[in-house]
Amino acid sequence: MRYIPNTNEQKEEMLKNIGVSSFEQLIENVPDTVRLKGKLNIPDAMSESELEDHVVNISQKNSDFYSMKPLIGAGSYRHFIPEAVKSLLQREEFWTCYTPYQPELSQGTLQTIFEYQSYISRLTKMEVVVPSIYDGASATAEAALMALRLTHKNKIIISSLLHPHYLETVKTYLTPHESELINLPFINGLTDMEKLKSLLDEDTAAIIIQSPNFFGGIEKLAEISELAHTKKILLISVNVESMSLGILTAPGDNNVDIAVENAQSFGMDLNFGGPYNASLATKKQYIRQLPGRIIGETVDIDGKRAFVMTMRAREQDIRREKATSNICTNHNLNIVAANIFLSLLGTEGVYKTSLLNMKLAHYLEDLLLKSGKFEKVFDYPFYNEFLLKSKTDLSLLKTKLLENNFIPPLSISRFYNHNNLENVLLFAVTEIFNRDSLNKVAKVLSE
Amino acid sequence: MMKLIFEKSVKGKKGYSLPKDLFDDIKLEECLPEYTIGKDKKDLVEVSEVEVIRHFTKLSKLNYGLDDGFYPLGSCTMKYNPRINEKLASLGNFIYAHPLAPVETVQGCLEIMYNLNKLLCEINAMDMFTMSPAAGAHGELTGNLIMRQYFLKRHEKRFKMLIPDSAHGTNPASASMANFKVIEFKSNENGTVDLKELDRLMDEETVGLMLTNPNTVGLYDEGIEEIEKIIHGKGGLLYYDGANLNASLGIIRPGDTGFDIVHLNLHKTFSTPHGGGGPGAGVIGVKKDLIPYLPTPIVCYDNDKNKYYLKDNGKDSIGMVRSFWSNFAVILKTYAWILSMGPDGLYEASETSIINANYLLTHLKKYYKPAYDRYCGHECTLTGREYKKYGIKTLDISKRIMDYGMHPPTIYFPHFEPYAEETIMIEPTESESKETLDNFIEIMLKISGEAKNNPELLTNAPHNTPIRRTNDMLAVKRPILTYDDELKLKNP
Repeated sequence: MRYIPNTNEQKEEMLKNIGVSSFEQLIENVPDTVRLKGKLNIPDAMSESELEDHVVNISQKNSDFYSMKPLIGAGSYRHFIPEAVKSLLQREEFWTCYTPYQPELSQGTLQTIFEYQSYISRLTKMEVVVPSIYDGASATAEAALMALRLTHKNKIIISSLLHPHYLETVKTYLTPHESELINLPFINGLTDMEKLKSLLDEDTAAIIIQSPNFFGGIEKLAEISELAHTKKILLISVNVESMSLGILTAPGDNNVDIAVENAQSFGMDLNFGGPYNASLATKKQYIRQLPGRIIGETVDIDGKRAFVMTMRAREQDIRREKATSNICTNHNLNIVAANIFLSLLGTEGVYKTSLLNMKLAHYLEDLLLKSGKFEKVFDYPFYNEFLLKSKTDLSLLKTKLLENNFIPPLSISRFYNHNNLENVLLFAVTEIFNRDSLNKVAKVLSE
Repeated sequence: MMKLIFEKSVKGKKGYSLPKDLFDDIKLEECLPEYTIGKDKKDLVEVSEVEVIRHFTKLSKLNYGLDDGFYPLGSCTMKYNPRINEKLASLGNFIYAHPLAPVETVQGCLEIMYNLNKLLCEINAMDMFTMSPAAGAHGELTGNLIMRQYFLKRHEKRFKMLIPDSAHGTNPASASMANFKVIEFKSNENGTVDLKELDRLMDEETVGLMLTNPNTVGLYDEGIEEIEKIIHGKGGLLYYDGANLNASLGIIRPGDTGFDIVHLNLHKTFSTPHGGGGPGAGVIGVKKDLIPYLPTPIVCYDNDKNKYYLKDNGKDSIGMVRSFWSNFAVILKTYAWILSMGPDGLYEASETSIINANYLLTHLKKYYKPAYDRYCGHECTLTGREYKKYGIKTLDISKRIMDYGMHPPTIYFPHFEPYAEETIMIEPTESESKETLDNFIEIMLKISGEAKNNPELLTNAPHNTPIRRTNDMLAVKRPILTYDDELKLKNP
């Protein structure tokens, strides 16, 4: 086996050294009765070239996604990733190393995370950032648990326009705990503010609002946080499309208490749903209830600047069952990708790309409305995702789009069964489109 | 001192490119109302592409990776990450696959997930795996929620979880997240489960036992059959923490020893890279009775239509534990690894890792007293307690190892008196050659001599790493968690 360096002769020599006559002797305390008799029933080893053929063959059962542009987002967005990101990620020192428990041998990882914390802090205008959470859904669930601990209350009001997978994940995480999830309905594609006012009470720990929401609508977070804070309720904002941070009002400026940022848009491939990464950003006063890893700056014994894992008294390896979360291994390499991506784009690149996304989406919406084949569902402000009701049968549209190398938009009835959401599509547009390709989309959809 | 990227920023530098047509005909203010638009641009950095490349290349050189040399972290299974797996995971048809794309366009992805389920079932003697969990601890939480749901549906009120003191911290933390009361109990003088104590603690209010086998001291639990009887005898469930599966491939399967539920760290035993702290995957396998409680969705195959699809796992499922379906890229690398190894390769991996660990134990035990003097599994637990009299702690030994160009083993874990204190847990994996092990042994003997004759060499170590020992107290007392914190400190 090419991945195992020792020869049979060396193994024999080592066994002799150990003082046993056979390998069997080393595992004699594994009771014979429970040992595997015979070999595992799996295919025999493939050579590297056989393996490549086999997997490439399976990959071809997917569509040729490289040449297809997605009109679908819904929590996973295909943005352009500069080659420098991918090239740097191939440095083995980043991807073959372990969790940075030994700061002397891990400054690369530690400084990378520290810089990324700084980026997310500036993008969200929040003071503290934990970037080491698996994805937006689990981060939202962790934020909900954090809010229960911070307030010692048990009720959470949750927007029905939170990504359905996020909503399901929050439910799963909260089920064992004595807490109550209250569904917050929408009106005109945004949170129903009157309903929200009527739901707020002293037992409420937090409100969870996604913005831009699952329909693409940009929520009035400042108004909601003001309402929440009058009753000492925490506002958790969720952003599944981080590219929107470039132009939209930062969660911090909306006085959000905990901001969940799904960072997939920052240099991560679609990868059929994972791995992605998410951050929790919050105010300094809540730091001790944060889950996950935080990197801090300090000095070494020579007075040199150094970075370390810090505020460790929250974590499972120290506090065991009293930890703020069980999270340990998370999605660090995705943090490296996101840091490189943001470093390349920088202040201007993030702003301009973000702006371009918004403009492209509005351009397409306008084209489709003008075609007469679609109508508006809601009149709401949106970023790069929007709903349109199709006058044509959706399966026909799907076939036409696939034929023309576009991944079709999401049929919203997959997640919502309201009457007025039948035949409604959720379009997502990113900077991988241009005027020509959007004109083509409109043409395909209106023929 | 390495500069931060912020300290390299110069106004006007550019590391990105955009198309010429930026849709200047569309105005921001005409599209969006005032409340949605940020007051100002978010200030990040302005750096050119070449400077970004150099910055991160320099940063990478401050890390020590598996490809740089020996990385014997106990319970972490730092084995070689095959290159072909990385290539396969970067195929365009996979990386550009949208998770919500029409099912007929993603048959390849689903086939990989489906096939891996079958392989893992055979390797572990389980009936079904979920690919959802993103990491080991995430798998543990998922597993605990499955067990909780199982008893709920049977109308049994069970709320206690038994966990040995040798367990990873994630075990009690995960049980806590499922709102179980954690009952931690002491290991016996052999370093394994104390059967009498287990029998005393197991009752009808107890969910079951979370067990790592071989345990975190690297020892197979010879009482496994007794343990199974005690837990199942009282109607409980037996949970297998797969962190140490690397000692068991083709030798002993969790399902054959009575485990009902198992999590696997694909980034350990199954060779996928650690990435400096993930992403990995923590898939969960269960026996038939627990299938209805697995998270949603599950991958199915329709024989008539010859088509794979994702299915909601029904009303008894614990629900979703994440967005979308899995850490697909990791699932794919695992699949590729198993196919490269085959049944003989998997056995050889465990065999070699066990021989390697025992070889180190044999040569080092005279100098570093083992926590338990018996043959070990894929890792051995030594201690540095002999050096206390020279004023040397295990920490000092581990820092000195760095000076010799190697990564130190896991230290101070597991920790339980009186056997396992000042612990040094070494896991050499099958990827390490005899030559590397001999070199490590030589270094450890040298350090033993230095500890006695020149202890300052150790207490001041490391000497030639990019930075030296850090002031961790200062990091807590004066928290600098962003660049802006640092700026504020400099210019209050």
